[in-house]
Amino acid sequence: MKSANRELLDRLAAEYVLGTLRSRARRRFERWLLSPQVGALVKAWEERLAGLEPKLAPVTPPDAVWHGIEERLELRKMQRRPAARWLAIAASVAFFVVAGILLTYRPSVDVRQLTRTQESLLQADAQTIYWRVEVLGNHQELELHVENVYDLPAGKAHELWALPEGGAPVSLGLLPKTGEQRRVLTPAQQTALAGAKQIAVSLEPEGGSLTGAPTGPVLLVAPLSRV
Amino acid sequence: MNRIDTLPPEIELAQLLQRCAAQDSVAFRTLYDKTSPILFARLLRMLRRRAVAEEALQDVYVRIWQRAAQYEMGRGRALAWMVTIARYCAIDLMRRERLMLVSDDSLAEVADESAGESDGIEKPNNFDHCIGQLNDNTRKCLTLAFVEGRSHDEIARLTTSPLGSVKSWIRRGLLALKECLSAERQAT
Repeated sequence: MKSANRELLDRLAAEYVLGTLRSRARRRFERWLLSPQVGALVKAWEERLAGLEPKLAPVTPPDAVWHGIEERLELRKMQRRPAARWLAIAASVAFFVVAGILLTYRPSVDVRQLTRTQESLLQADAQTIYWRVEVLGNHQELELHVENVYDLPAGKAHELWALPEGGAPVSLGLLPKTGEQRRVLTPAQQTALAGAKQIAVSLEPEGGSLTGAPTGPVLLVAPLSRV
Repeated sequence: MNRIDTLPPEIELAQLLQRCAAQDSVAFRTLYDKTSPILFARLLRMLRRRAVAEEALQDVYVRIWQRAAQYEMGRGRALAWMVTIARYCAIDLMRRERLMLVSDDSLAEVADESAGESDGIEKPNNFDHCIGQLNDNTRKCLTLAFVEGRSHDEIARLTTSPLGSVKSWIRRGLLALKECLSAERQAT
């Protein structure tokens, strides 16, 4: 990074953390948070400015706030009673048995039920699309198609990220090198994807980022569009 | 108003965050009970209106749950990490709602406890010395921005100073603070 660029980025990082970087400038800067260099500048400012944190008398929020959180994250569904949990385990065993049979026998019937709701083309330019990413249903699943092979150094992998508006990137797993792949998303991935207008690809160690955040260069960023 | 006499140890918060990362909703509830009065006070200080702060608090905990896996134990304090999420949420909310939070006479509903260090949030070494080196105007601008979430325009109005001066005080103040803190670090 050139020193003039670094200085500018550091100034923006400082005002981002202070809160005076606003509106479009703030949104633009948030896109750069993917970069480890910018992330480190922001972190350093967060540590410096923590000294300004005021000491406030705590205020207990009303119960309605917790109920709202519980509802938004569907936490109640996660707190199953033991009987329900055993049923769930039985159901998932049954699912894997059925899935195993389906995979083994490769049935000719189309088992897809979710419709394609969003699409994103990860491309370097108008001509070269590397991956086509399809979002199925209400963000439950992804279908990944390799259109052109993106060169990959040995010992590295391409990792896909959801970029939730105003939030940190959330990994959607590694991208296939060839062919196509379909995958089921975890609830956290679904929420991140639902709040994202863009996805990105970064270069990571084989097996994916160890930190839960992108560590390598961001290679491609693409918008998600409704279909 | 409830008063929390001692904050939960940082280790406990960090462990709760780890359990949240593993989708443990019971741990999440405990984390909420222990920290929401602190974050709510912080949000009220920035957003002022109770209803808006309540909405922001929901956003904050939704984000904490979703990002718990990104919290790295040993790197940064757990409470500081959560307070930062709360501050950014409040700024986002001001941006999204285009909230007019500028009425100069609207007093913060949250009282300052004392001028001491915030519980559980570590100040950099020599922070007090370095912030003391800045002139009064600069210190006031930085505090209005960081603590109250005020924009450049609002600070200019509140301090009856030209916008250009406010921007340059802030820019120079941040730079001076950084230099002083890094000089102090090298000296120790």
